[in-house]
Amino acid sequence: MNQRNNLVIGIIIALVVAASYNVDANPIDFFEGLPNLAIVAEEMTQVDAELFGTAFLSMFETIQMAFIGTIVGVAISLPLSMFAARNLNSKFVYAPVRAILAAVRTFPSILWAILFVIMVGLGPFAGVLAIIMYTVGFVAKLQYETIETIDADPMDAVSSIGVSKWQLIRYVVIPESAPHLLSQMLYMFDYNVRQTSILGLVGAGGIGFYIINYIKFFEYGKAAVFMIVVLVTVLIIDWISLKIRDKYIVKSQHGMEVTAK
Amino acid sequence: MKQLQMTSPSSFSQITTQKIIQMNDVWTSYDSKSYALKGINISIDRGTNYAIVGQSGSGKSTLLKLMNGMMTPSKGTIKVDYQTPNVNNKKFKLMMHKIGYIPQSLGLIKNLTVLENTLIGSLPRLGKFQSMFKIFPEEEIQEAKKILSQVGLGGKEERKAYMLSGGEKRRVAIARAFMQKPTILLADEIVSELDHHTAREIMNLIADAQKRLNLTAIMVHHDMQLALEYANRVAVIKEGEKILEIGVEGDKIVDFQTGDFTTQEIMEMYSDESKK
Ligand SMILES: Nc1ncnc2c1ncn2[C@@H]1O[C@H](COP(=O)(O)OP(=O)(O)OP(=O)(O)O)[C@@H](O)[C@H]1O
Ligand SMILES: [Mg+2]
Repeated sequence: MNQRNNLVIGIIIALVVAASYNVDANPIDFFEGLPNLAIVAEEMTQVDAELFGTAFLSMFETIQMAFIGTIVGVAISLPLSMFAARNLNSKFVYAPVRAILAAVRTFPSILWAILFVIMVGLGPFAGVLAIIMYTVGFVAKLQYETIETIDADPMDAVSSIGVSKWQLIRYVVIPESAPHLLSQMLYMFDYNVRQTSILGLVGAGGIGFYIINYIKFFEYGKAAVFMIVVLVTVLIIDWISLKIRDKYIVKSQHGMEVTAK
Repeated sequence: MKQLQMTSPSSFSQITTQKIIQMNDVWTSYDSKSYALKGINISIDRGTNYAIVGQSGSGKSTLLKLMNGMMTPSKGTIKVDYQTPNVNNKKFKLMMHKIGYIPQSLGLIKNLTVLENTLIGSLPRLGKFQSMFKIFPEEEIQEAKKILSQVGLGGKEERKAYMLSGGEKRRVAIARAFMQKPTILLADEIVSELDHHTAREIMNLIADAQKRLNLTAIMVHHDMQLALEYANRVAVIKEGEKILEIGVEGDKIVDFQTGDFTTQEIMEMYSDESKK
């Protein structure tokens, strides 16, 4: 630790304190509020077991929404990322595509959900559309960054044969980035299940609808049922995607490799 | 080991009139500070096995990249079969289909199988729809399998490229180049890291293809001995300049400082010497 590092750390601490003052973040309030949490926690223990059926059904709806959203979103983002990659396109192609993607990314999924509820009405379809938009903005960025880091040697070797650009994409870009794409897709599905769980807050379907309604009416015990189901589901999905990763994405001396077709 | 590729007078005249690669005072640089190649003059006849040797960093790989249009010279002219190598030149792009290029790093697609990597060499012959869905005609697949067994990879067609040894990877890159049915083969140190036995096996394979297809091979070597053994001409590059070009015929070595001699002149000298 030298003098300059100490100064930098001091400035960061000062900034945190100043910002906390501005947003009324008082640690004392936090500790004084702890007993309230205890009340909620106690009420949550009065779990209403009868609701588990409904909870599982709505969780299933949530998973389906996340599934459609992820698959359709990735399917849209894959071609977009090909146009956004700097090593495949001229500036006139990648710059506008990147600008559009950046604009799409500025909206969090909950804002997309509000927008689509206005557009197509309350219900899961609005949620699916929101997840698609969010996935496109996010995955396309991950994908074009992956494509840009592809090894230049196979690209040069194959393009020196004089193949078309689409052949280059099909035989070099996709196979070389496939392990990353698969892993991004799993990550996104995982993330989308969590996201979809809260989209119900704005009436865009899914399990969040029940959670927010029971909390509104102070029925924490009922809300708890739904929260437990979300927790267990997320853990199971985490575990499954870990298994898929282990099976299809093996590490070799070259880094990540995919063994699937 | 060596064979003269010209046996009858008729093929002799056909070959000597065909300059397949001509470089005239070629300079090139990667940055504005220094030149990687300085004033290179090279003239290669069809069917020649042309070797380029030189120390590391002397500009050998750069020379090959100029020949297939992956790089363009900053000064001077290059003609490959009377076309200027440039990826934006439509006519040259068609020629690229027939220029097999084996880069120093090989450039295999590690997640594709040996067979798929080989079939990439046939992509220029494949339609749009077929290439999107990886539908290769049966005869192309048979051809690829034949080439793979020729390079000693029979039975390993379905292996992923990343599961291969260094020597096996080289053979796949060679198979991919052969799959192009090339008229020109550019090979960058493909045998340098191999043991003598394997290196000779691969060199014989290329010599054999040369005989069959009247292929022009331009090969970068680290080992002068290997170059002398297989090449008709050997160019020595030092710090971006061609300091020596040797014509090799049979066991005879004739030394030409400038390298401006034609195969005909070499042949004449060779026959003069053999008369003595
Ligand atoms: N991509 C690059 N960017 C900048 N400079 C480069 C690049 N590639 C090569 N050079 C430089 O150009 C010169 C010639 O390089 P080249 O790769 O042609 O050498 P080489 O004779 O093939 O060497 P080696 O036997 O090590 O493969 C070297 O000084 C090298 O540093
Ligand atoms: Mg080199």
